[in-house]
Amino acid sequence: MAGRAGALSPALPDEPAVPVQSAPLYVAARASEPDVADFASESVIIFDIEGAVHYWNPASEALYGWPALTMIGRGIGHLSTRSENEREHWRMLLQEGTWQGVVSRRTPSGIHIAVDIRQYVRFAQDGTPRDVIEYGRQSLSEGAIEGADWHIPDRLMAASWEIDVSASAPLIAAIARQRNEVGVDNEAQLNARYTELVKAARIVNVNERTVRLVGGNRGRDLMIGQPVAGFWPLESRATLGELIVDAMTGEIEDATYRQQMPSDGILRDPLVTVWRTETPGRIYAAVNGTVDDDRSYIYLRASEARYRKLVNHMPIALWQVDASHMGRIYNDIRAMGVTDFAAYLDEHPDLVELAATTVRVTDINRAAIQMFGGNSPLDLMRPVGYLFTVNRAALRNVMIGRFNGQEGHAEVTKVQTFDGRLLDVRMSVTYPKILAELDVTIFSFEDVTERLSMEAELRQLQADFTHAARISTLGELTTSIAHEINQPLAAIVTNAETSLRWLSRDDPNVEKVKALTARIAASGRRASDIVQHIRGMASKRQPERSAIDLNEIVQESLIFIRHEIESQSIAITTNLARALPHTMGDRIQLQQVVVNLLINSVQAVEAQAKGKREICIGTQLTEDGALAFTLRDTGPGIRPDDIDRIFEGFFTTKEAGMGIGLAICQSIIAEHGGSITASNHPDGGAQFRFVIPVESPDGSA
Amino acid sequence: MPKTPLVAVVDDDEAIREALCDLMMVTGLGCSTFDSAPAFLNDNAPKDFDCLITDVRMPGMSGLDLLERMRARGSDLPVIVLTSVLDSSARAKAFELGAQAWLTKPVADDALLDQLKAAIGAEDWPGEPGH
Repeated sequence: MAGRAGALSPALPDEPAVPVQSAPLYVAARASEPDVADFASESVIIFDIEGAVHYWNPASEALYGWPALTMIGRGIGHLSTRSENEREHWRMLLQEGTWQGVVSRRTPSGIHIAVDIRQYVRFAQDGTPRDVIEYGRQSLSEGAIEGADWHIPDRLMAASWEIDVSASAPLIAAIARQRNEVGVDNEAQLNARYTELVKAARIVNVNERTVRLVGGNRGRDLMIGQPVAGFWPLESRATLGELIVDAMTGEIEDATYRQQMPSDGILRDPLVTVWRTETPGRIYAAVNGTVDDDRSYIYLRASEARYRKLVNHMPIALWQVDASHMGRIYNDIRAMGVTDFAAYLDEHPDLVELAATTVRVTDINRAAIQMFGGNSPLDLMRPVGYLFTVNRAALRNVMIGRFNGQEGHAEVTKVQTFDGRLLDVRMSVTYPKILAELDVTIFSFEDVTERLSMEAELRQLQADFTHAARISTLGELTTSIAHEINQPLAAIVTNAETSLRWLSRDDPNVEKVKALTARIAASGRRASDIVQHIRGMASKRQPERSAIDLNEIVQESLIFIRHEIESQSIAITTNLARALPHTMGDRIQLQQVVVNLLINSVQAVEAQAKGKREICIGTQLTEDGALAFTLRDTGPGIRPDDIDRIFEGFFTTKEAGMGIGLAICQSIIAEHGGSITASNHPDGGAQFRFVIPVESPDGSA
Repeated sequence: MPKTPLVAVVDDDEAIREALCDLMMVTGLGCSTFDSAPAFLNDNAPKDFDCLITDVRMPGMSGLDLLERMRARGSDLPVIVLTSVLDSSARAKAFELGAQAWLTKPVADDALLDQLKAAIGAEDWPGEPGH
């Protein structure tokens, strides 16, 4: 990467095919003269001592009509009527150091104008001629109004293009032949071929104005080598194509061809002029017109500069991508009748690879360079594949989104940076609007690595907390649990001893011993089951989802609490709905909720000395198909002031309570996509209800 | 022939009831089981029990409540409390109400049978069957 930073070549790192011939021109343009003359009302031209134009200010464009682009690096003799004398004139000038007079020069429209010029030789420190500077204005004797052109109107500064059409010679020849044919469909066919020609034409160079008007945020570097069609307004592509054919097939070498183009939202009433360059297979195009915007051009430039600066300094990483050719491929695939693009991509994985290697990044901002650890923008201006090295599926999703005509697509994915870091990013893609002039897709990447790791830590913390609460609950239930396990153990001991007594008799009763042994086994299993449940509650584990039956969960929860209820002489009524659908959930966590709610009620009922001691629990299927658990007790109920806070963490009315039980119940139910509510029953006592949606085990809701 | 002594067992846990009943049987004692205290109190055909074995924690009515009711009715039936409860105040209450013994589950058969023998009396205790 580092070696590329200083290179001026606009060639992109991964594209050896980009024509390199544009590089010297580009360098020449960069080395142009002081900006002070850009705003002069007089024509200011700087020649090197060989007579080649080195600088051509906007006033020269206005005066002569030739864009700077077409003049830089060339002599001016071909514009002069007395070109045979030019060489002699130049020799005299270099000798004498100055010259003043009237010259006649040709404009692109073919007419000649008389110009008063003053030429001065500038010398280097060692006394040798360095360059020649020429000032010029239209000769007053020709009837020009003095001072009328002191401000260079915007419309005179042509948006100039140098275009290479050498690869399209056969097409141009074919079009020229077709022009002579007559037919109803001929014009439509011709227009299609003109457009085709503009698509094949490549940009060799453009001037600043062209970059400003149609280059978007890309800059000249990225326009060079690209198809002209990518930047030329759609409505006038055929016009340009027609002019190219005119210029390339015209008899006269210096002839110019011009046409009015439709206003295109960029320029008002633009006039395009096309002529051949000296280099075979290339043409110049100059577009004149007023910016089609009520704001002044300066204002527009300032606002665009501000916009560019804003985008560049946005803290979010942005990529501008040109996927226009993929759009055409999608159109073709759609035309084949394909509707399920995901399935199509499964059969044609090479299409994803094609996108990865051919869809180019055309612009990026500073945050993008920082995120990927690049040295310069060029490091990132490559095919998009590098954004999807870790997760190719994300690229596939982006493609499917566009195929399906979505406005955008977003997902959290992973990327690997140039310096090897692995980042979690939230990627958002905005697709180009259909029929938009420029096919531009915008990617934004937000680094969420830290947030995700924080979320993971939070999840762990919550799991730890939930576990701690379960352990604490089990602690409260030790008496109950001990009793639950002791019962089958007591039965086992007695049955075993009774068996021994049968066996030690003179006539051992084998049948009796068999029956007792079977009971021992059954009681052993019962004890083991209880131990399993407790182990589940006590285990430290990550939440896991499996198919669960809410009724089963309620019944298992009762194992933990039954003895507590019985010993407090609390009557418990269960009313479980039949044939409840199974759902996906965490069995242990839901048990924890039911046990917590039950303990709460037992303690509430226990606290009051008089009155009924009763807890009713039940399960239902709600009208909209969700699972509900309800509990009602005959305790003192919830204080109205507390109802809103009862599920808050560390809220408790108990002296020894931590106040985490109900908060954890709420977070567990929320994790299951449900809700939990607390209220007071009109006839007294508290009631709790939680509802969780049914998520069928096959994944559908 | 002396009559077979009859023992009542009150426990909400079926496995415990069956186990105790079988132990009585192998010892040569008669046995009736009840799954709750009210079931014992409301027995329509009150038998001439020689001893009662009861759990403490049971739904509806506890073993201690049962003992209290029996004493209130004037019954002096020997009562053996067999429980997992380790609560000393409950134990004291049981002895206050004239319980014969307080045994914790799991109980050793000899310990239980010794207490039953004391309650029923050696003269009524069945001989060693099959020996």
